[in-house]
Amino acid sequence: MRSQAAKFVAAARRALADPPLQDAVKRATDTAARKRDLAMFAHGRDHGEALRQQAAAARRRALSRLPELLEQAEAHLTANGATVLWAADAAEVCAHVLDIAARHHVRRVTKSKSMVSEEVGLNDALAEAGIEVLETDLGEYIIQLAGEPPSHIVTPVIHKSKEAIRDLFVQRLGMPPTDDAATMARFARGHLRAAFLSSDMGISGGNFIIAETGTLCLVTNEGNGRMVTALPRVHVALVGIEKVVATLEEYVLLTQVLPRSATGQAMAVYTHMINGPRRAGEPDGPEALYVVLVDNGRSAIYGTSYAEVLGCIRCGACINACPIYEATGGHAYGWVYPGPIGAVLTPLLTDLKDASALPHASSLCGKCKEVCPVDIDLPRMLLDLRYDLVEAGHMPWLWDAGMRAWSTATRSPRLFHSAARAAQIGQGLLPQGRKVPLGPLGGWSASRELPRFARQSFRAWWAARNQEEDRHDQS
Amino acid sequence: MTSRETILARLRAARRPFADTPPPGDYLPVAPVDDEHPAALVEHFAARAEALNCTVHRCPDERAALAAILDVIGADRQVLCWDFAHIPLPGLGAALARAGVAVAPPSDPSVRVGITGADAALAATGSLVIASGPGKPRQVSLLPLVHVAVVRADQIVPHLEAWLATVRARGLDAFQAASSTVIISGPSRTADIAMELILGMHGPGELHIVVLEDTSA
Repeated sequence: MRSQAAKFVAAARRALADPPLQDAVKRATDTAARKRDLAMFAHGRDHGEALRQQAAAARRRALSRLPELLEQAEAHLTANGATVLWAADAAEVCAHVLDIAARHHVRRVTKSKSMVSEEVGLNDALAEAGIEVLETDLGEYIIQLAGEPPSHIVTPVIHKSKEAIRDLFVQRLGMPPTDDAATMARFARGHLRAAFLSSDMGISGGNFIIAETGTLCLVTNEGNGRMVTALPRVHVALVGIEKVVATLEEYVLLTQVLPRSATGQAMAVYTHMINGPRRAGEPDGPEALYVVLVDNGRSAIYGTSYAEVLGCIRCGACINACPIYEATGGHAYGWVYPGPIGAVLTPLLTDLKDASALPHASSLCGKCKEVCPVDIDLPRMLLDLRYDLVEAGHMPWLWDAGMRAWSTATRSPRLFHSAARAAQIGQGLLPQGRKVPLGPLGGWSASRELPRFARQSFRAWWAARNQEEDRHDQS
Repeated sequence: MTSRETILARLRAARRPFADTPPPGDYLPVAPVDDEHPAALVEHFAARAEALNCTVHRCPDERAALAAILDVIGADRQVLCWDFAHIPLPGLGAALARAGVAVAPPSDPSVRVGITGADAALAATGSLVIASGPGKPRQVSLLPLVHVAVVRADQIVPHLEAWLATVRARGLDAFQAASSTVIISGPSRTADIAMELILGMHGPGELHIVVLEDTSA
């Protein structure tokens, strides 16, 4: 998927003028955030906090041994009968999948949700090769019909109302009109069931890979993840290289913390551990299993101060907690990952300059770190990215000019004094107590009342006060 | 260099993040269970499963269990079913035959009810652990709209961590021998349409759990 992050400001402005969108997003994220709190603290706040630290340590241990664990995982996956492929970038992921499809004479593909497949633009690559590809997670199916990207990593149609989904199904699938969500879902179930049964290849993501056993792990609620890994002849899993964990114990911990943080469920409906393709004597399951280990920018982050972002387990809790996401929705962020995690990942995995608005799309309130099940310090990284943007010269000229002027003024008492005097006098010329766009400062001033400068500067007040005291002392 | 070599070399050349993270100590269970006595585990399991929209049939004996299953099957003439050897109800085959209910091939998508056993059950979360294998098709718990799972009370363990301890005790080879192990917690669900909870999105919309409370009698 090509990043549209460069258009964040314009896209966010459009979202801000769309109250129905904001209502839908606010309702959904508030609910998810409330359920997350209930689930994480079901056994008390101390227990929940201890779980968070335990889960954070599990991810950090895995990252500290990442190359070794990847090799161990590869060896065990292979011993279990899977074929392991490595992909350095998006093009290589698509090439691997097309190659597998050709080898197995695949014409139809069903997919369960995979954010990595969105990163690499897999659906377009398959369609160009003449292979029919159908998303089967209900939310992904809806946005595929609508021709839109997902707006949330867990609930991809968070931005769409029930009425909008109804109209889409009526227009595109010929569904008899209904306002009953269950009837709509049943209609989609029928359509997708036929697709599962006739597809040659299933594509999934992967939530974890357990290194010590070579186990591919998925969590889903709808059951489409089970369908695409049980019914088609071939199963291909796309998994980021950072998703490996060392042991079953670390997995058992993380696979429970994940749904608690994502949807407030104690367990996902289907917590799935796959140890290879169908075995001799088994009546179902795929004949072949391929696991594609995807880098696509991750190894470049590994040695940097941003390495901790690789610990992310994609629960979406930071997105649900973010006041900026609540205001703009997910599409404004312009790439696969929205919200605070996206504001860090998009500049790192795509292009820092292109995504330069995203690290600023934060009030730095810190809620994203507070709710992160693996305690990733997103606010720290947002600040570091802002620093990097300045260092790389990617800030607007006005920012640079303003900061240079500030720097010069604050280093000279005389200049500072004159500037303060100028501000006292100058504010008389500006409207007070109103929000007005002020030329190039409009982005800031249009939504804020101008600050009122004191009639007397602190320095003047201090000097006067000391004179007063001197008089007292002398009397 | 292959991509594999390139990626691994880049990771190896980098400064190791989190090199000072301590090794794991004792793991705090994510969902602790206060009372781990067998009778309490059944209570806990049934309460959690019902909270997930499962129907739990607590049966004192095999006859009650068979009656509960035939009641779910109703007037249907066909079911999907695991090999009877993997379901802890010795009389099931005969009871189905007597009722005129045939077992359809597992891939038949038109059948409404699928009957399985389970490898374990988790009290803390009302979950079933189900491994695939010969005679245990995964489709039986996936394709039908109604899934009936039969578990013995003594198969209920406190939580996922306790299940893992049994896996370790048996050895990892036994775990890896099953190409698919799925932990099922309630019926298939979605909330993708305006956050409304809908059951039975792709998998079963009804999950009946038949608990055999006393298998020694």
